[in-house]
Amino acid sequence: MEKNLYHNRLLQWLVYVVFFAALAVIPLVMDDAFLLNQLATYGVYGMLALSISLCWGFGGILNLGQGIAFGLGAYGMAMTMQMQTQDPEYSPIPPFMLNNGLDALPAIWEPFWNTGFGIALALIVPTVFYLIFGGLMFQARVAGPFFAIMTLAILSALATLFVDLQPYTNGVNGISPPAALDIGGFVIDPYMSTSYWVVFALLVLSTVAAKLLTQSRFGLIVQALHNDSERVRFLGYNVAIYETLVYAASGLIAAIAGCCFAFLTQYVSPAQFDVGFSISMVIWAAIGGRNSLLWAIIGAFLVQGAQSYVGDEFLNSWILILGFSFILIVRFLPGGLGGLAETLLGMVSRKRETQESLTVGAGEPETRGA
Amino acid sequence: MDFTLASFVNALILGLSIGSIFLVAALGLTIIYGTAGVINMAHGEFIMLGAYASYTLQNYLGVPFFLCIPLSFVVVALIGLVIERLLIRYLYDRPLDTLLATWGVSLVLMQGVRLIFGSDPKYIQMPSFLSTNIAAGPISVSIFRVFIFLVGIGLVAAVWWLFYKTEFGIKLRAVTQNKEMAASFGINSGQVYALTFALGAGLAGIAGSLFGVLNIVLPTMGMGYVVEAFLIVVTGGGALLGSILASGVTGEAQSIFAYIFNDTFAQFLVFVLIVIFLRFRPQGLIATGGARR
Amino acid sequence: MAIDRRRFLKNSALAAGAIAAPHVWIPGVREAGAASLVEGEPIKVGILFSLTGSLAVPEEDSALVMQYAIDEMNEAGGINGQPIEPIIIDAKSDFKVYSEKARELILRDKVISIFGCYTSASRKAILPIVMQQESLLFYPTCYEGAECTQNTVCTGPLANQHSKDLIPYMVEQFGPRVFFVGSNYVWPKESNKNAKIWLEEAGGELLGEEYVPLGSSEFGPVLNKIRAAKPDFIFSTVVGASDIAFHRQFKQAGFSADSMPIASLTTGEIETKAMGAEYGAGHFLSAPYFQALKNPTNEKFVEGFLSSKYGKNGTTHYNMEETYTSAYVFKGALEKAIAEHGVGDVTSRRVRDAAAGVKVSADVSPEGEIWIDENNFNTWLVPKIGQCQPDGSFKIVKEAPEHVAPDPYSIYPDIGVCTAEGLKTPDGNIRKDVI
Repeated sequence: MEKNLYHNRLLQWLVYVVFFAALAVIPLVMDDAFLLNQLATYGVYGMLALSISLCWGFGGILNLGQGIAFGLGAYGMAMTMQMQTQDPEYSPIPPFMLNNGLDALPAIWEPFWNTGFGIALALIVPTVFYLIFGGLMFQARVAGPFFAIMTLAILSALATLFVDLQPYTNGVNGISPPAALDIGGFVIDPYMSTSYWVVFALLVLSTVAAKLLTQSRFGLIVQALHNDSERVRFLGYNVAIYETLVYAASGLIAAIAGCCFAFLTQYVSPAQFDVGFSISMVIWAAIGGRNSLLWAIIGAFLVQGAQSYVGDEFLNSWILILGFSFILIVRFLPGGLGGLAETLLGMVSRKRETQESLTVGAGEPETRGA
Repeated sequence: MDFTLASFVNALILGLSIGSIFLVAALGLTIIYGTAGVINMAHGEFIMLGAYASYTLQNYLGVPFFLCIPLSFVVVALIGLVIERLLIRYLYDRPLDTLLATWGVSLVLMQGVRLIFGSDPKYIQMPSFLSTNIAAGPISVSIFRVFIFLVGIGLVAAVWWLFYKTEFGIKLRAVTQNKEMAASFGINSGQVYALTFALGAGLAGIAGSLFGVLNIVLPTMGMGYVVEAFLIVVTGGGALLGSILASGVTGEAQSIFAYIFNDTFAQFLVFVLIVIFLRFRPQGLIATGGARR
Repeated sequence: MAIDRRRFLKNSALAAGAIAAPHVWIPGVREAGAASLVEGEPIKVGILFSLTGSLAVPEEDSALVMQYAIDEMNEAGGINGQPIEPIIIDAKSDFKVYSEKARELILRDKVISIFGCYTSASRKAILPIVMQQESLLFYPTCYEGAECTQNTVCTGPLANQHSKDLIPYMVEQFGPRVFFVGSNYVWPKESNKNAKIWLEEAGGELLGEEYVPLGSSEFGPVLNKIRAAKPDFIFSTVVGASDIAFHRQFKQAGFSADSMPIASLTTGEIETKAMGAEYGAGHFLSAPYFQALKNPTNEKFVEGFLSSKYGKNGTTHYNMEETYTSAYVFKGALEKAIAEHGVGDVTSRRVRDAAAGVKVSADVSPEGEIWIDENNFNTWLVPKIGQCQPDGSFKIVKEAPEHVAPDPYSIYPDIGVCTAEGLKTPDGNIRKDVI
């Protein structure tokens, strides 16, 4: 039995409750449209870091192309929002299509007339894409850095495709739906607390779901797989299926994040498939602590918050600072800030229980935490 | 566009040229990955450093272009050596972490260069006889592309000689095949890795001094090469011969698809074909003998 | 599933921020905080350009020249006796930053106007917030048009103005056979649609149309196609770093500007400086402004700017000058709005409405007199054709005889006509915020 307080399940859940309660208090005490919108955007980044943590820290699958699900989800949502501002009679097709030589709505856009159906597609398409792509790759036992590079390739290919399909996607300029998302009369105005609450609820939901997943029997096998996939294979488990599922689950969370991002910014473009952005998701998770869902989210908040607020002070040196801190964390603190907390708590716990052997829980990267 | 034999031949020749550009870009990466298993995300920035090294040498010290190329090798190899000693050597048993750490390195290099040189594009001058073409009837090829092709062949020959004809090469191959066993024969694997990393960085530096002339010298110029270079290495399987074959095939594919369709679609098609290929042959064209994944 | 018209209208109204029924159960609901001016207080404007990243090359200059223009105005006593206070933001060439910072400028800093963006993608990224909050964007560069919002003023040439003279000139000088090359995105394609109209009028023949991926540096396949087609000249809308690679590889492939020049809409002073003048020499550019323009205003502008602390990059070019004039359009519009409504009642939207017809006279505007269209809020200007000289400067070879009217929907008359209140569709409806 580990005695490190960091691994105490009850305590972990308590920390989750405190963290989310703090986030929930913000809109009650704050009345700043910009700040709420900004924090909601951080919430989206938090979801992305969470999805990376689930896939990489927990499932051991480094994914440099999480922008795939994020972008597909965002496009689905933006298409839905765009169609909400269209009218079958007066303006049946989005203005940009007229400039691109289309005089009828393409079949691929038809389903997005229906808001519910559109949002469902925004979530299903990326998830199914991940199931198929992940299934193919993991079955061929593509793993580790190879898989990471493959996700990069797909990401670049998608960006190219969305640019090239200009009549359907408006190419590089992207889609900017002119009105806020309206779900059955409930308007998610990005400049009111409504949007904050929606993102907050989805962040809590996906975090709790991911946490429960890690604590389930399924999670146990995935965890074993991360430590030694060959051994799991010899025990008769179909490794590819488990890898595919955890990969697809992280894709679903990223797709949810993409949807939120689209209604928060009312904009989507092939830049969502930018390689740099997908890698910065990994940076958030790495700095916060890839092995901990919560710390990954905190990592996203910290890095993006710093980018917004520290960045302008130093302007030019910011990327330098980010690069250096990232190098230092990878070099000296592979568990990120979460790993640091784990080590520190471990030391505290050990002091309290002096009879405990010194070898336990000293912040090994393999031990799974919050 | 009408199909004519001449334009198809031109497309084939261009394919070779594009392939040689891919190869020059991917050579350093192949060596680093093939030997040490390090996924060097800063490879594109090493290329960028090579271009800036040439620019600085030419502009401030008046070094002629042909001398800038080998000097860029030296400069970037030294930078690579420093980075290896300070950072990479602690991460050899953590391949995913090297990937991330080198991404951090790439951010630092890119921003560092921007702070020193500014973000406006720089310009490397080359002898004017390189900036024209050779033509035989409708068949034409630019001399600079021929030059890159020849440099590519020269580099491959040099690397081959180094790997298979020198003592360093023997040590290097021993370390690649089995690090522990090599160590028991008294080979200092740390030293071998460090020199390999420097060599790979230096090769990227040469690529940079060539690409700076072909295209543009900018702090962000390396980003465009890194994904393509990786796909070449992975498709090739991490071996020298593999990378040669992979860059030849993808170069031709890119050129011929661009000839038939257009450049954008060609790029998309090549990416997708590589992914499909690796689904069926994850070890790449030429599987390396070692226990590497 | 059908969307009834009422809901459509409701959405549009919400978008305009006109009605915002408070959701009683949600705390913290607020009215859109519109920017306004206070007598004697500084006038806050946002300057939103990329100072770092891949877009920094053109955009940094725009940010610098904006500060130069504001200093110039402040030294002359500001606007209505009030100083202008610029809030300078680095958008880091990242659309997420554009979007976030535009929000910050509008919602938190409450700027009266934003000057910013270079690519259409960044403009589209910030337009939703600009439109929803009835703020104002001065967009100072050439673009494709096909947009009709009530919150933008554009001082660059539209696609219908840009190549109007260039194509007939090239056909006349070099022959009718032309090959189009562009970067693969919206603006080149739209520009080419316009160019085709001028080409047909001039009796030219289009041999091929190729687009390379944005940022691509491999022009081999395109140059091979050009070689096979043997055009008399090339019409290029390749942008950014690609443009430099294109010109270099063009010469390296053995083509010459004397026998097959490139007529470009983008290759200006910074590009030729970056590629090396020997690669640019002999090619043509159409733009409303060149550094080499001979008039006292421009000479003063060039000298003043380059010797100021903002002139560190050593050149002036069309994009920069369009940004400079946008500052004076703003000044004119703001003075008009203050005169009409009084300082306390000036809003961003009223400044935009007041910009209709605002002139920047030839003793202020380096490119010569320009004015803002009263309907679509783009700029009446005089496109000029310059030929790059061996030293990298341009020689003006032709100037349009009169101002060319901007028309964002010139090639889509079926879509409608852009009016001050919105897009007037052929069935007589007015649609707001068409982007």
